[in-house]
Amino acid sequence: MSVQYTPVIWNRNKIFYDAVLLIAVALYLYVYIRVAPGFEDVTKPIDGATLRMRAFGSCAFLMLTVILCIGPLARLDRRFLPLLYNRRHFGVMTAGIAAVHANYVLGWYYNFSPTDKYVALLSSNTNYGQILGFPFETLGIAALVILFVLAATSHDFWLSFLGAPIWKALHMFIYAAYAFVVLHVALGALQGAGDPIFTSVVAASVVLVSALHFTTGRMEARRDRGEETAKASLQEQGWLVAGDLDEIDDDCAKVVTLSDDERVAIFKYDGKLSAITNACAHQNGPLGEGKVLWGCITCPWHGYQYNLSDGRAPAPFTEKISTYRLQLIGSTILLDPNALPPGTHVDPVEIGEAA
Amino acid sequence: MSWRQTKDAPFYVGYLNAVPKPLVTFLAVFAICFTGGLGLAALALSSTQNDPGSGGFQWGNRFENVGILELRPYPVLRVAANGETAARTYMLAGQGKRGAFNQAEKHGSTPVTLRGVPVNRGDLTMIQVGRVETAEDAGTPFTPSEPVPLGRWKLTGEICDGKCYAGAMRPGRGLAHKACADLCLTGGIPPVFVSSGPVENRNFFLMADKEGNLLGDEIKPLLALYVELEGDVERLDDLMVFKVDLAKARILK
Repeated sequence: MSVQYTPVIWNRNKIFYDAVLLIAVALYLYVYIRVAPGFEDVTKPIDGATLRMRAFGSCAFLMLTVILCIGPLARLDRRFLPLLYNRRHFGVMTAGIAAVHANYVLGWYYNFSPTDKYVALLSSNTNYGQILGFPFETLGIAALVILFVLAATSHDFWLSFLGAPIWKALHMFIYAAYAFVVLHVALGALQGAGDPIFTSVVAASVVLVSALHFTTGRMEARRDRGEETAKASLQEQGWLVAGDLDEIDDDCAKVVTLSDDERVAIFKYDGKLSAITNACAHQNGPLGEGKVLWGCITCPWHGYQYNLSDGRAPAPFTEKISTYRLQLIGSTILLDPNALPPGTHVDPVEIGEAA
Repeated sequence: MSWRQTKDAPFYVGYLNAVPKPLVTFLAVFAICFTGGLGLAALALSSTQNDPGSGGFQWGNRFENVGILELRPYPVLRVAANGETAARTYMLAGQGKRGAFNQAEKHGSTPVTLRGVPVNRGDLTMIQVGRVETAEDAGTPFTPSEPVPLGRWKLTGEICDGKCYAGAMRPGRGLAHKACADLCLTGGIPPVFVSSGPVENRNFFLMADKEGNLLGDEIKPLLALYVELEGDVERLDDLMVFKVDLAKARILK
């Protein structure tokens, strides 16, 4: 969290994150370009430019695969959440690696010609009507443009400037970029002489990304159905039964799904209960999966914090989220499903008195 | 039962330097697996790449020969037989993705001394033309032979640009190379058909249209694909020429 925009607010965790990323990428490129050719069974070596464009291209593809797996992995196992924290650096580096790949392609296949290489890139193959022989380079360009736009707007300044809904929608284009990249590879490199290893890696990437998203999607749907406790239970003048006090650990929350698919996080802390919307104002992180730290709700994604009683970020921060009214009858928690305007103060329910 | 946060579960906040110990162990294992996995992937992907073949520039074996430049329909150099070797016909290309039409047109049918660098793959040789000069001592007057018809053939294979396939690029064929081949042909490099079956033990053919003229843009949708072509084959000294009827071309895969 920061009240001013600086390019990167470095901390030890970000430095570790980026260091591991840099070492892994450097190792990949070094092994691909310098070590592995010694094990090739070839009559004459592959051209250096071709080798480098393949190294950077395949590296960007694998990085994009990992990036897309982080989200669902963090849903399935919360220990992956730290990978989410600095994922934007992962994305920016992927865009950079993909750009180097494109530069090698331009400087090799489109060079040494009387035609300008940028003109040649767009004009040398225009057989858009055929699948085999399709100008797969165009798909790569589309993916690269998306990666650039996402990298350029990854900073919180753009999140604040565009607003969370637009920013989120924009960054969902990462899936379009992945689809373009898969098609780029499938209609290009995979159409060459049979390379079972590369084909297997691409297929495994597609299966992994699809399966993880499918699994987490089903999990979330199941969760929504299971937690519609309020909707189908006792109702008292518009109040919904949200669960029992014993279901919530201290400084933690229970997430309740309302009938309109909005989720509410009910926190138990210091002998009190408070309810706020489950969506963080930053990037829609699941606040109900966070904890109460220093008297504030703390988002598990990027650590954004909010006061429990009014949903406002502690000064000098200005973010605010919706709050909800609660009642406690015995150990049963009742929730008013009508969201109050973001930042509205609601007195916490004292557990001792009610129980 | 859905996942729920608990009091005892480790909780990571990125801007706090203290990472809960169970997470440190988990993240350390992940970092090692991620880094090692990428290293192994690089080794597997790079070491199993397909062999680009033996083609390449013969920098240590510069070409210098006296002969006659012809357009058949692409520029070729016809070299007379001498006591030891039969007459030869060499395909010609310019620097980069350029043809050698200017030199061929400038020198007409007068004997020239042509210097260049051979690009060679097996019995396919393409000369990258360096300098062309009128031959001062052409020796015995030489009349190149007429092409020998070898009949009508239906061949399967790939249309490549003759220079890259000969070894200017390794690899110099396939769909990943299609745009490059397209640019080479546009620049005047002779197209070469690489046949999956031989004709008189030769698998490489200089291409021309069915009338023996230059091929136009109609060849481009067929480039770098596995195709079936039909046409007349001729032998020009040691060079095979395939005069294809593109109206009958079929993409096989």
